[in-house]
Amino acid sequence: MNFGHRIWIVYVKELIDILRDRRTLIAMIVVPIVLYPLLMLGSIQAVSTQTREFKDEKILLAVQDEVARRQVFQWLRDDEQVIAELQRQARARGSDEWDEVAAEDPALFEVVIPDDVGLEGRFDLDEGVRLRRIRLGVEIEVRHVEDPLQRQYVVSSKYDPEEVRSASAYRRFRAVLDRRAEWTRGDRLGHLGIPVVVIEPIVVQPTEVTTPGSMLGQILPLILVLMTITGAIYPAIDLTAGERERGTLETLMVCPVPVLDLVVGKFLVVTTVAIMGAALNLASVSATVYFGGFESVVGAPGDAAFPWGALPLILVSLIPFAILMSALMIAVCSFARTFKEAQNYITPVILAVLIPGGIAALPTSRLEGVMTVMPVANMVLLTKELLLGGELGASVVVLVLFSTSLYALAAIAVATRVFGTESVVFADTASLRSTFSRRLMRPAGRPTLSMAVLVVALLFPIWFYVQSGLQSAGDFAVVLRRTGQVMPIVFILVPLGVCAYFKVNIVGAFALGGPQGRYLAAAALLGLTAWVPAHALSVAQQSIVPMPAVLEASEEIMQTALANTRPWLALLLLALVPAVCEEFLFRGFLLGGLATVLRKWPAIICAGCVFGAFHFYVFKFPVTAILGVVLGYLCWQSRSIWPAVVMHALHNGITVSLNVWPGLSDVLGIGGVDPAAFLPLHLLVPACLLFVAGLLLVRRAGSWSPEDQLVVT
Amino acid sequence: MEMVIADNLVKAFPAPDGGEKRAVNGLSFCVGKGQIYGLLGPNGAGKTTTLRLLSGLMKPTSGRAILAGRDVNQDPRAVKRVIGFLTANTGLYQRLSPRELLVYFGELQGLVRAKAAARAEYLIDWLDMADFADLRGGALSTGQKQRTNIGRALVGDPPILILDEPTLGLDVLSNRVILDFIVRERREGKTIVLCTHYLDEAESMCDVIGLLHHGRLVAEGTLDELRSFAGEQRLSNIFLKIVHADEPLLAGAS
Repeated sequence: MNFGHRIWIVYVKELIDILRDRRTLIAMIVVPIVLYPLLMLGSIQAVSTQTREFKDEKILLAVQDEVARRQVFQWLRDDEQVIAELQRQARARGSDEWDEVAAEDPALFEVVIPDDVGLEGRFDLDEGVRLRRIRLGVEIEVRHVEDPLQRQYVVSSKYDPEEVRSASAYRRFRAVLDRRAEWTRGDRLGHLGIPVVVIEPIVVQPTEVTTPGSMLGQILPLILVLMTITGAIYPAIDLTAGERERGTLETLMVCPVPVLDLVVGKFLVVTTVAIMGAALNLASVSATVYFGGFESVVGAPGDAAFPWGALPLILVSLIPFAILMSALMIAVCSFARTFKEAQNYITPVILAVLIPGGIAALPTSRLEGVMTVMPVANMVLLTKELLLGGELGASVVVLVLFSTSLYALAAIAVATRVFGTESVVFADTASLRSTFSRRLMRPAGRPTLSMAVLVVALLFPIWFYVQSGLQSAGDFAVVLRRTGQVMPIVFILVPLGVCAYFKVNIVGAFALGGPQGRYLAAAALLGLTAWVPAHALSVAQQSIVPMPAVLEASEEIMQTALANTRPWLALLLLALVPAVCEEFLFRGFLLGGLATVLRKWPAIICAGCVFGAFHFYVFKFPVTAILGVVLGYLCWQSRSIWPAVVMHALHNGITVSLNVWPGLSDVLGIGGVDPAAFLPLHLLVPACLLFVAGLLLVRRAGSWSPEDQLVVT
Repeated sequence: MEMVIADNLVKAFPAPDGGEKRAVNGLSFCVGKGQIYGLLGPNGAGKTTTLRLLSGLMKPTSGRAILAGRDVNQDPRAVKRVIGFLTANTGLYQRLSPRELLVYFGELQGLVRAKAAARAEYLIDWLDMADFADLRGGALSTGQKQRTNIGRALVGDPPILILDEPTLGLDVLSNRVILDFIVRERREGKTIVLCTHYLDEAESMCDVIGLLHHGRLVAEGTLDELRSFAGEQRLSNIFLKIVHADEPLLAGAS
């Protein structure tokens, strides 16, 4: 019985079990079908009713005295005629700019003086707005009364821009005044025989562009996130803490099935239920909008409609999120021994998820920079971008999906570590703390899979933040030096600390043992030649997909900067330090952890891909991942990271040297060769042959055997 | 042939004072094929922990256990394939029928689906479960649940059975079901490690009895050997005498 089949057995059983549960069905089917439409209809109706009422409401406007009131009355009374006149003039010019205004219902103003509303004296208009007795306060001063052609009304308005009704009152009254002013201006210029165009050197014609469904785009991702979480909570608790509480966990743990299979099977059930729940919710919302005729209310104004075409995309983008949430829930609930305990653990998790989710839902948040690797926020933003139809780069999408999968993997790793541990299965014997109590740990020869995955998953966003932070320093030499200082801390000290805590043998964990000389020779051969096939691969790749401009620019900056850097410093910081650090983490720690569960090639390929992903550019991924695989192969065969360090350092060293010493290119006969073309054959053929020879040299010995993995030192 | 070997087993838990408490402290014993080995002892003697160590549910702090030639430390999954584990409070899935449950655990034991289904049918017939084999677990009576649990423990046809107080809190009828099952399994040649508080059960069934106290074996032998060792006839008296002898303070008090 293999891994996949065992997971399938667990999956089918748990799915049947959970779907037979009335509580799941209620949470999954009844809630979305009944509750959400009701909530949506209710809130939409409430909002639209309120908007309508607020539009129909009389606007209470106060002026300082009876004279001013008469003036305002006159303006308001004449407004309709003014609009008609402006419309007529516009049409004569062939413009329809006043048609829309003419079609609108006129605003209803009630003009009062302070005495009418219990405010005394002119200075209390401010107070009236502040106390919300009036929406708008207006003071009018007239200048040049005697000359009709120069008469000027100075209208000071008092309103509260933060208060919707007051701001709207100001806008509408202001529109009346503007129209009046425009009409009067035309009239006066007519008297003077001057064309209007003389005083209108610039005509501004703004057009507001509203993205279809933008309002929905802001809210829907967050609603869906909530729906997905809601769907996952109950099954996650039931399948973990529930087992413990009902006494079935013991029967499960006594079966000859690895914990990983049980956890993965259960996690897939929770994911399935979460996705089914999200899909039902989405369908239910869509049906409500479609059959309820709420498209115009939910969508943006105008003829924009509900983004039907985006629905499948939303659902697809929700799958990684459902995976992440399910993994997280399973991990958290694995710590719990009862339903109640699990619920207590889940509440803070949901809050923690809602904070980044909420940040992402803000209209100003964009999918860029650190947001691309921020858990939850990046998924919400991806959904939002899909809905808004913004442009998404492949790198960004891959980064979001990769980081999300990595976080999910880390959560699964935690769950596997915790689920079914003695202290969880047998609450009577030991506290949960004992699971992580160092004193009771047995020394181990290799890091466990969960330890390796968890550490790497944590380092991924950390390294992303660190790199983004360092690069903002600007000056290349400074960036280089700082990276060289931070890299050993992140890549070596962190895993080293974890190993020390969990009593993992350091030499075994990082494969620090001395290799046979043959492997060092092979490593030298590979390190000296790898850049040639790597370059060829990169050229071939560029002929299919051109290099993104951003990357091209940064490469150019780096090359220029390299030429001005002291050679030994460049070699130290770009060749030696990364070689040691990256080999420690990826070939030593990660590959060692993967090797405890996976077979040779899956483990090597996994570690290689993670290595590629840590370079953050999709474009660079194929070459770095393949180099990572070669390095992993070298490490696996030699049972030591040192040959990989040698190869890595030589490879980076040559690439750096070619930039630092331009003379080197001439020696190799490639001076002046177009970097985007294949290298000349006199270099390409021998180098590739030597590279293959290196690989053959590596192949000739055995590999890590399962016995090696069990050795406890 | 020794089917169960416990070799200097130690299991330590962290104590609240920061030190450690040894629930099992250097325990060694063997059980031959076809024997019933009774582990007896007062509460907290380490019986349950011992059975959990034997079945691979817990990892020993030191020492090892070998079941049917397989080492629990080195290959816990191989050990789990040769044991059936049953306690009085192992639960059932509320929303699966006994038939589904037996097939599920059969598959987890490594049987292909058709074989697991055939094995389930056999056990349903043999344990007289036909009447309730398709009801949901939540709807079963205590006796029916017990029989389903026995079926679950036997579904992989294991040569070794590990029974942790299987009759705890059961009524006379349900008790009978379990005891009949134990006797029948021994007749089939199964090796059984049984831990119980009911001394009359132990007296009537066990081939060898081990008295456990503070995680150590204080006496071991057949009932006759224990009788001559302690100079008492009834097992309960033997039990008290040996335990008191091991506990000078308690002995003084009584």
